[in-house]
Amino acid sequence: MPNELILNKEHLTGFLRKIAKERELIAPIKNSYGDTLFEVISSVDDVSLDLESRPAMPPKDFFLPPTETLFNYQREGKQYRFEEVLPDVSRVLFGLRSCDLWAILFLDVVFQENFKDRYYLNRRSNTILINIGCHEPMLNCFCKSAKSGPFLTQGYDLQLTDLGDRFFVEVGRPRGRELVDKWDYFFTSATQKDRDEQYEIVLEAESKFGQTVDLDMATSRLINHEVDDALWEELGNRCQGCGGCAYVCPTCYCFNIVDRPVSETQGERVRMHDACTLAGFTRLAGGYNPRQERSRRIRRRFYHKLPFAIEKYHRPSCVGCGRCMEICFGRVDMIHFIKMVCERGKKASQEASLRLGEILVQAGLISREELKVALEKQADTGKPLGIQLIEDGLTTTKEIALALGCQLRIPETAGTEG
Amino acid sequence: MVPNIYQPYPVSVHGVKEETGDIKTFTLGFKDQEIQNRFTFRPGQFVLVSVFNCGEAPISICSSPTFSKGLQLSIKKMGLLTGEIHRYTEGDEVGLRGPYGNGFPLEQLCGHDLLFVGGGIGLAPLRSLIQYVLSKRSQFGGVTILYGARTPQDIVFKDDLAAWDKEEDVQVTTTVYRDNPTWKGEVGPVTRLLEKATISPSNTKAIICGHPAIISYVVFDLLKMGFAEEDIITTLERNMKCGVGKCGHCSIGSKFTCMHGPVFTYREIKTFPTGF
Repeated sequence: MPNELILNKEHLTGFLRKIAKERELIAPIKNSYGDTLFEVISSVDDVSLDLESRPAMPPKDFFLPPTETLFNYQREGKQYRFEEVLPDVSRVLFGLRSCDLWAILFLDVVFQENFKDRYYLNRRSNTILINIGCHEPMLNCFCKSAKSGPFLTQGYDLQLTDLGDRFFVEVGRPRGRELVDKWDYFFTSATQKDRDEQYEIVLEAESKFGQTVDLDMATSRLINHEVDDALWEELGNRCQGCGGCAYVCPTCYCFNIVDRPVSETQGERVRMHDACTLAGFTRLAGGYNPRQERSRRIRRRFYHKLPFAIEKYHRPSCVGCGRCMEICFGRVDMIHFIKMVCERGKKASQEASLRLGEILVQAGLISREELKVALEKQADTGKPLGIQLIEDGLTTTKEIALALGCQLRIPETAGTEG
Repeated sequence: MVPNIYQPYPVSVHGVKEETGDIKTFTLGFKDQEIQNRFTFRPGQFVLVSVFNCGEAPISICSSPTFSKGLQLSIKKMGLLTGEIHRYTEGDEVGLRGPYGNGFPLEQLCGHDLLFVGGGIGLAPLRSLIQYVLSKRSQFGGVTILYGARTPQDIVFKDDLAAWDKEEDVQVTTTVYRDNPTWKGEVGPVTRLLEKATISPSNTKAIICGHPAIISYVVFDLLKMGFAEEDIITTLERNMKCGVGKCGHCSIGSKFTCMHGPVFTYREIKTFPTGF
């Protein structure tokens, strides 16, 4: 079969059904809660494939599970032995987006360089990757800025382009070829007209994505140390230390290894996802922590994702999927970060951070006299100023929230537009 | 077949020596002779030690590769894992993988005078190098060892310190922060010993290990004395979880302590955002 094929949409289910018989098939499924997630499909006919939205979680879990047993260990008498538990899977990941596939290629390098991680590589070497190029950007996407999409030119086994009633199929790596050769009756050769149509869609998509954030400028500011400490402080204040950004990031691979006792004589050594924004990540025995302050951890995260990854792997470890934007309510996500870094450079001087009472006075919500009284009372009661003002009926919870937002410089809008 | 990088191999405890109230030195040997023969390391490297039901911890090797009676680790009782191993006696087994890290730059140390500055348990990785240097005496110049401990009871490797002092062209000075009535040696921070030592900074390499606060004071004084930044060598402690440059815990700047370190020169450390 040639390298460019056509798969009629009515044949998609049949093709997937064949795949599912021979391998574990994983695809984006809309569940009963309305969330789209990558899931293992046992019966193609019983699920609703969702090829329109971005799955809430990245596909990394299928290569680096949230928790996995690396070894079973046991002790008999004085003997202490470890028995490895290596994964043995044979999978097809269907319906990946280019950004997610690009992220897997990034992880490949990390787990192959120097010491080879057999747990990751066993899964990876036996997984076929089929992506669908995006012709419409999804909410908060910025793959074009991260240079990971919307279409790929390499790395996929098969790449699909939606041409309306049919998919244009590009054959990439050899395992993609094996798949189409095996079930060639689902495919026809692409004509020049198909090719033209696909090319047009790619061009159109590229223009729709545009450049939403300037990742390169932010990176160069970081490399040149043009980011002031106040910015890290501010991000540190906003970060809630939940680790969500790392868990939803398709390239965040940091992990922890712990022992889980099963009995007096045996247990499991387990690997689990970890996040560099969590307080204990760098803590040592004895309590010393090189990154005690949240601002330092945030700084670490963004340095690692942009300049350090580029220095080491010649590409950022952000693929522009926008998931961190969706999960972080403190706006310590990549888009806000890049915008902040780029905008800060423009401002010559930095405004002094105002105190809460001052903000409320300036907004005309309370008078200076009322503030003075409340501050005196607060000195006695020891209550936070905001609470004191609310109890005195001088302001409302909502106004305090807005003022705090202003104090911590949390932007009011969440969108990437503008 | 590619080996499993996380596989610990069984070693048994051949001997336990109580150094202080909370530090013990364990002498270990692999159960499998073939693995034992294959296991080679440089001073300054570390291993990951598995203790039953407690997980793994990175521990520096404190014996020299030239020491034939087994691998030695000095372990301070700090938490769950170290507390458990402190209960172990001869014949008990632990798991071990490694060695990891870069180790000391032996080639660059050759032909130079060496100044060792250690604080507390920080003498452990230095001991590996000191013993190595003394076993290849002709390759190195004069050796000065300055060691600081909290109290006389907290001094580790007492026999070694005494033995090293008897060697030709080796000066050993020990100081404590808080003395007791029987202590006859120096009192005060280890930096005070630096002022008294006769060292020629142009031909000396300084190797330091201890608490980050101690290291920073020592480095400050060494620079003042005229040491070049690349002649100040230290070994850093970080949360080295995997040992193979993957897990991210020991990252320092764009480097991983477990791969590019734990031994760094001050010139390198200066560029790290978190310092020591």
